[in-house]
Amino acid sequence: MRQYAFFLGCIAPNRYPGCEAAAIKTSAKLGIELLPLEGAGCCPAPGAFGAIDLKVWYALAARNLVLAEQMNMDITLICNGCYKSIWEVNHILKHNDELRDGVNEVLAEVDMEFKGSIDVWHLIELYYDEKICGVDKVRASVTHPLTGTRIAPHYGCHLLKPKKERHFGDTENPMWFEELIDALGAESVQYRNKMQCCGAGGGVRGYDLTHSLDITNEKLLNIQEVGADALTEFCPFCQLQYDRGQVEIEEKFGQTYNLPVLHYNELLGLAQGMTPQELALDLHAVDCKPFLEKIL
Amino acid sequence: MAKVKDYGNAELEEKLRDTAYYADDANPQFLEDVKKISRTAANMCFQCGTCTGSCPSAPRSSYRIRLFMRKGVLGLEKEALYDPDLWLCTTCYSCTDRCPRDLAPTDVIMAMRNLAFKIDIVPRNFLKTVQLIYTTGHGVPNNDVNRAAREKLGLPADPPTTHSHPEFIPGIQKIMDFYKMKENADRILAEGEQ
Repeated sequence: MRQYAFFLGCIAPNRYPGCEAAAIKTSAKLGIELLPLEGAGCCPAPGAFGAIDLKVWYALAARNLVLAEQMNMDITLICNGCYKSIWEVNHILKHNDELRDGVNEVLAEVDMEFKGSIDVWHLIELYYDEKICGVDKVRASVTHPLTGTRIAPHYGCHLLKPKKERHFGDTENPMWFEELIDALGAESVQYRNKMQCCGAGGGVRGYDLTHSLDITNEKLLNIQEVGADALTEFCPFCQLQYDRGQVEIEEKFGQTYNLPVLHYNELLGLAQGMTPQELALDLHAVDCKPFLEKIL
Repeated sequence: MAKVKDYGNAELEEKLRDTAYYADDANPQFLEDVKKISRTAANMCFQCGTCTGSCPSAPRSSYRIRLFMRKGVLGLEKEALYDPDLWLCTTCYSCTDRCPRDLAPTDVIMAMRNLAFKIDIVPRNFLKTVQLIYTTGHGVPNNDVNRAAREKLGLPADPPTTHSHPEFIPGIQKIMDFYKMKENADRILAEGEQ
């Protein structure tokens, strides 16, 4: 069993707790134990917070990193936004002495020091990594295959991009997430402009909701075109934008999609035999029933 | 999606009314500041427009990231920082991945937003996030519906974050106070309500 400090972020624990519960239970079956990172806070939100003052963004993200350094454990997380803050600040501070000294000057005020002794991983990359888990192990853990369902993948932005600072390769048409979806017995589908943003990031959801939803609406139209039973992602903020966004889109633009939106961990949970109640799917704004009826 | 762009602030609108360029308007230091904060060589932009072509915000607004790149190079500080479009970037980094000069236009926008905040130009929603993190440690805090749902799942009603460990919140506040961030956010919000 590999152990990781589980950085929760905000939206998973406070809006979609099913993601948190599923991540812990499904990972345990894949040889990954998630331990709570006590006292962690907001990553903080890279778009909404970093936009105001990057220095505070570095310092607050570093505080979260130091908590894991004190546990002497790598961090894993389930949100692209958190990945941008936690992974990127870890990376920058490890390689930029000037910024690290600046951050440590602030952290000294709270008796902390950033040492750069740990690494940060998105749970989805641990699942895909052959050395840690791998697609075959994911497939072997499935007891209730999602046979007969067509599922649209959404990669989101901040895990893969900007590609020159990341290690995920192609960002124009990656296919690795599809392998993980297919491993659950489902059929992943391709759609137009797959890599487009969900529209929520950068503080735009709060700044101009109509603009933000218009981007989401374009994605939903493209997915509707190929006929998918559900959309899956590995970012609770994208999930919020697609899920609650569909209600808002109906109000604002009069378009209805009824497309269930599930975090990959929620899908994996279903495929490993967890019930919809164990995943709190009733908290989703879009009814998941049509999708569940196909698999249960 | 067509709409009138404005900040709802008569004084600012007056400042923005004259849009002709004069050499006096240029501030070369602006480009240097942008380069330092963004950690990208913004002066290398040759205005090909790949960034705007890749931008999900461009087709539905007047936001043109290439324009901001140009304003940075020309040192047109006010033109760039006063434009409400500055806040329409979703930070998707598509432009950064495709830039043929290997620049990071997204980070240029982030740097410009940082500079705008220094002169009190910032949308209210950004400041509200600051206040929430300052008081709870979370940008999106827990609520009662969610607490009940968490308990049903066998999770603690409050996650093992600052929500269960409020003793960590003063540390977060100290870090934010070091940069006077909360103070500035409160002041800007209060001034906006007058």
